Amino acid sequence: MFICLVRDSLSPSRPGVLATVARACSPRVETHGDDVVLCDGRGLTRVIGMPAVIAEEMRRMAWDREVGVRVAIAGSRTAAWLLAHVRSGTTIVSDGRERAQLERLSLPALRTLPSSLLTHRPSPAKRGNRVDSQKLDEVLATLDRWGLVTLGDFARLPRAEVLTRLGALGGRLHQAACGEDATPLVPSVEAPRFVERLELEWPVEGLEPLSFVLARMCDGLSAALAAADRGAVSLTTRLRLVTKATHVRVLTMPAPMRDAKTLRTLILLDLEANPAPAGIDIVEVECGVTPGRIVQGSLLTYPVPTPENLSTLIARLQALVGEDRVGAPVVVDSHDARAMAMQAFAPSTSEPQNPRTFEPQNPGTAPGTLNPEPRTSLRRRRPPTPVRVRLEKATPVEVAMDSMSSFAAVTSVAGPWRTSGQWWTNDAGSWDRDEWDVALDTGVTYRLARHRHSNQWDVEGEVD
Amino acid sequence: MASAALAQLTQLLDSKKLAGTLTRPLEQGRACTKSGVAVLDEHLAGGWPQGQLSEIVGPASSGRTSVMLSTLAHVTQQGGVVALVDVADRLDPASAEAAGVVLDRLLWVRGPHLSSFQADGHRPRTSRPMTVVDLAVQRGLRAFDLIVRAGGFAVVACDLADVPARSLRALPTATWFRLGHVLEGQDTVGLLLASQPLGRSAGGVSLALQARSEWAGRSAQSRRLAGLSVTPAVSQRVRRGSACSFALSATR
Repeated sequence: MFICLVRDSLSPSRPGVLATVARACSPRVETHGDDVVLCDGRGLTRVIGMPAVIAEEMRRMAWDREVGVRVAIAGSRTAAWLLAHVRSGTTIVSDGRERAQLERLSLPALRTLPSSLLTHRPSPAKRGNRVDSQKLDEVLATLDRWGLVTLGDFARLPRAEVLTRLGALGGRLHQAACGEDATPLVPSVEAPRFVERLELEWPVEGLEPLSFVLARMCDGLSAALAAADRGAVSLTTRLRLVTKATHVRVLTMPAPMRDAKTLRTLILLDLEANPAPAGIDIVEVECGVTPGRIVQGSLLTYPVPTPENLSTLIARLQALVGEDRVGAPVVVDSHDARAMAMQAFAPSTSEPQNPRTFEPQNPGTAPGTLNPEPRTSLRRRRPPTPVRVRLEKATPVEVAMDSMSSFAAVTSVAGPWRTSGQWWTNDAGSWDRDEWDVALDTGVTYRLARHRHSNQWDVEGEVD
Repeated sequence: MASAALAQLTQLLDSKKLAGTLTRPLEQGRACTKSGVAVLDEHLAGGWPQGQLSEIVGPASSGRTSVMLSTLAHVTQQGGVVALVDVADRLDPASAEAAGVVLDRLLWVRGPHLSSFQADGHRPRTSRPMTVVDLAVQRGLRAFDLIVRAGGFAVVACDLADVPARSLRALPTATWFRLGHVLEGQDTVGLLLASQPLGRSAGGVSLALQARSEWAGRSAQSRRLAGLSVTPAVSQRVRRGSACSFALSATR
């Protein structure tokens, strides 16, 4: 006995509801997307009751979750599928009556059949999809030319003759019209949850005792992830405190990983920065997972840090210098030369601009990938340092680096380069300044800026 | 006789895993990473030695930062990942990008703002910021150590150029030996950027730079900074030759 649940077209689609309803009644469930579920109903009569009671119970459970369903119960999956798709409400077919129930259905009902009900080895990508529509159209057009209208007309043809004339697909459709299954039910495996939970006998305070608890839990998680060939992309740590509050921390990984030591270190570093406010009664760690990855390294590029090492390193550095002080620099699209930003450090895996080459040992030859024109750089001061500047003919001639220093003579000067921006916003981000490059007799070349509204001079940085 | 004694001493140090403390002349064909400046690479016998702590020293405006960014650019363009521990938070991302650094391959660890110190004078205004500077230096060196130990970085640079000399002198001398020891046996190039020599490892290179600014344009209106003319001096050489120099063009 097989049961097919189909979402009613007037009801909203809710992912996972039909599978949940089916799993509540049967351990063998085959899902076909969010809207169709097949399950094995053998033995349910002893647990729940007659087929009508089973169908009513499943409809009620779905309705409780605000989903209306059509239910068909039949001796074969194919018959249950076709009847659930064509008839509304509940359809119950007693054993051996499948062919008689399908007789009156029109031939286009065969279009609803998925490939997994007709072929033995549907490709993973095609599983649950409809049969190749072009071939099915050809078969149905042929049946139409033969004057066949219902499944009963088709089922009455001799199968050997159908196979001869319509091929394998015609034969499988003939089986379906007779209410026979061409393939067995393949139960869908419920996505496993990777959760470790530990109730402690005594409340734990401090990271050191917690690290032992986490080590045990992460070992279990790591083993489970390895067995399922999965990697953790997020770690959710829930700490039930003695105050009955729950301290929740969520970590997002830059790459899937399942090394127990790395997972434990990341959790500990995060809890070090965000400690629980009270003793801990219950510890729960849950992993969000993704399929394992296979990475092929290259002999022609530099080795790069592994994601596990990189995650741990970033966490340690953030704990050392602060979360906002570690990352990759970003040049902001602005006319303000001081504008900059940071982003999370995640080295791109794209091909390098100049792939590494095996360079000759003689250092004097073939520097092919070298930067042909090295450039000067600015050592930028954040924030800029105020300075005193003496002018002659509106040009700097002497600069004192602070109020205690004596003036140093300017030996060369270039400028000004005037920039302004955000003047329309009237906030602190607006600027209007003249920039100068000046070389002092101390040998240092500075970039100075004069704020035009306040006439204040700053050192932007040194050319180096 | 002397060579036998030297060999015995070398063997003894090797057995104590202290062979890295021996200063040897730069060898042709050793594993090295190019600096991105052809003239300089020739002077360095191929580039920065891998697994060693090298240093770029010189006064302000001597081209130290440019040479460091050129090295980072060369490595990142070839797909390598690099790190910069910026103790005084002086990196200008626009300059780095102009130098050719692939920014998303650069791990930037920023120290606190140290703008209350003069880059040329290195003199604190009050006693209070010294604590901040000392802490920043200690954290910077700790970050450098963590990054090198993590592995996988082609170049790890530590910018100490704007740190007052007294803060650096306050560090234990074993600091640099320890950092050099961490680098031993790795493919990573350790680079220190400082105003004075600090403590390269025995196999490392100390590159001292001197530069003068070059200006273009005769009239006041057309005058602009053309770049720096840099003269490097290397602590060790493969062959003794005439001094070289190279030019850095201005980015404006």
